[in-house]
Amino acid sequence: MTQEATTQTTGPEPAGLTVRVESFVGPLDLLLHLCRTNEMDLSRLALRTITDQYLSHLEAVRFQDLEMAGSFMVMAATLIYLKSKLLLPANPDDQDEVLDEEGELLKRELEERLREYARVKALGSWLAEREAEQTLVYGRTTAELPPPEDIPLEDLSVHLLQRAMQGLIEDQQRRVPRQVEPNPLSVLERMSEILDLLRSTWSLLFSSVAGAERLRAEWVVTLLALLELVRLGQARARQADLFGEIVIERNAVSVHEPARLAETDEESRPDADAGVEAIAAEAPRNPIPGEDAPRAAATPPRDDEPRTEQGEPLNA
Amino acid sequence: MPEPIDVVEALLFASDTPVEAERIQEVLDLESAVAAREIVEGLRVRLDAEGRALQVMEVGGGFRLVTRPEVAPWLVKLARSRTRSRLSRPALETLAIIGYRQPVSRPEVDAVRGVNSDAVLDNLLERRLIRVGGRKEAPGRPFLYETTREFLVAFGLRDLADLPKVEGELVIPDLGAEVAATVEHGQAETEQDPGAGGADVPTGG
Repeated sequence: MTQEATTQTTGPEPAGLTVRVESFVGPLDLLLHLCRTNEMDLSRLALRTITDQYLSHLEAVRFQDLEMAGSFMVMAATLIYLKSKLLLPANPDDQDEVLDEEGELLKRELEERLREYARVKALGSWLAEREAEQTLVYGRTTAELPPPEDIPLEDLSVHLLQRAMQGLIEDQQRRVPRQVEPNPLSVLERMSEILDLLRSTWSLLFSSVAGAERLRAEWVVTLLALLELVRLGQARARQADLFGEIVIERNAVSVHEPARLAETDEESRPDADAGVEAIAAEAPRNPIPGEDAPRAAATPPRDDEPRTEQGEPLNA
Repeated sequence: MPEPIDVVEALLFASDTPVEAERIQEVLDLESAVAAREIVEGLRVRLDAEGRALQVMEVGGGFRLVTRPEVAPWLVKLARSRTRSRLSRPALETLAIIGYRQPVSRPEVDAVRGVNSDAVLDNLLERRLIRVGGRKEAPGRPFLYETTREFLVAFGLRDLADLPKVEGELVIPDLGAEVAATVEHGQAETEQDPGAGGADVPTGG
């Protein structure tokens, strides 16, 4: 069943249909409509009339789904069944609509359901009026007050739990399985990669360097590389808002010597910074292949979790 | 030094849910909830007398400070949207059934409406107008649904007693009898839900 079924009751008219067809939300709705247009007493259904009209209307009703169609058909079957009983009267002399005991029971039940539905429909319209009134009235929906320490349990339901769980499961399924990293990552390499990229462009996004797959090691190494570059004044990083995307920019001051680091890291680095040296000494030996390495490598910045980087809290 | 009436105004202004008289009593250290009610009443009178754009409304078992309907057009303009999304007719009818018969299970709602209510119930749950209040001790142990406080707020109702009285009680058709009747003449599909009560009722005659 689609969302459409609940959010809209009328749809576009199908092409070629000239008769304006009202939209009925169910078989009882249609039946009730017929009774009303025939000014029929709900406790005295004229079965012959109502069955014929119901069936002719049925051809024009557009169904939202198979289940909806089914419920209309069940009603049609019930009506036809009752009408068939009228065609074979127990007493041939009777001209009135007389049913046998079972048919009478079925008819009475149908009438009861109709009356019941009429009440519900009336209440529905009453609620609609109230709703319309309330849409003109605006009040707070969120407070700036800190939430109370005791969570009000009255407004919670199993449904919310179930949805939260479902969200977690779906989130889990979306994630790409962990892949074996063939080449150990190195902070130094990543630094030169970033500098290479910055040679041809002014700025780039952190996520484009770190990879969309959000591999933890990738993100950690990229962040460390970026931080190091920033420290060395080779690049600048901007993060407009908390957990937002980080924009990496070429540092205008050092733009005339962007290739320095990339070239020196293979050689003996006569004038390299002590920081690079430290990284070079440590990072390549720490290829961060498995579970423990990221934690070890990621000690300085606490917020380098791949998930938080993208501003996507676990329990959105 | 602010007067109690000013404090109450601030409470209602700052709260996102209706504030109960008892809560006001507690916050202001009043002797009784009646005293709290009196202060709220004073606030209501004051806002009315001054012709302010805000009014006090009693909904969902508490008080809310809301705008007057007269200023709605400007608020709509401010929000740059036409109107808030309204509930569909099936949703309203379903709410009506639940409002009167709660707690009520889905097969029972289906029986009154004559159609499957799955999607409608999901939608109402999503909007938090209803919630699952338990399970019915019947075959399939279906969920029992009931209305929430949000329901009362959304429709401007003080409590469920505010719902209009309808002639006669809302009667849920007897599912067992219905199935028995339909099985008898070979149309067992009246019940759309196999989990509904009495799917295995023995054939009648």
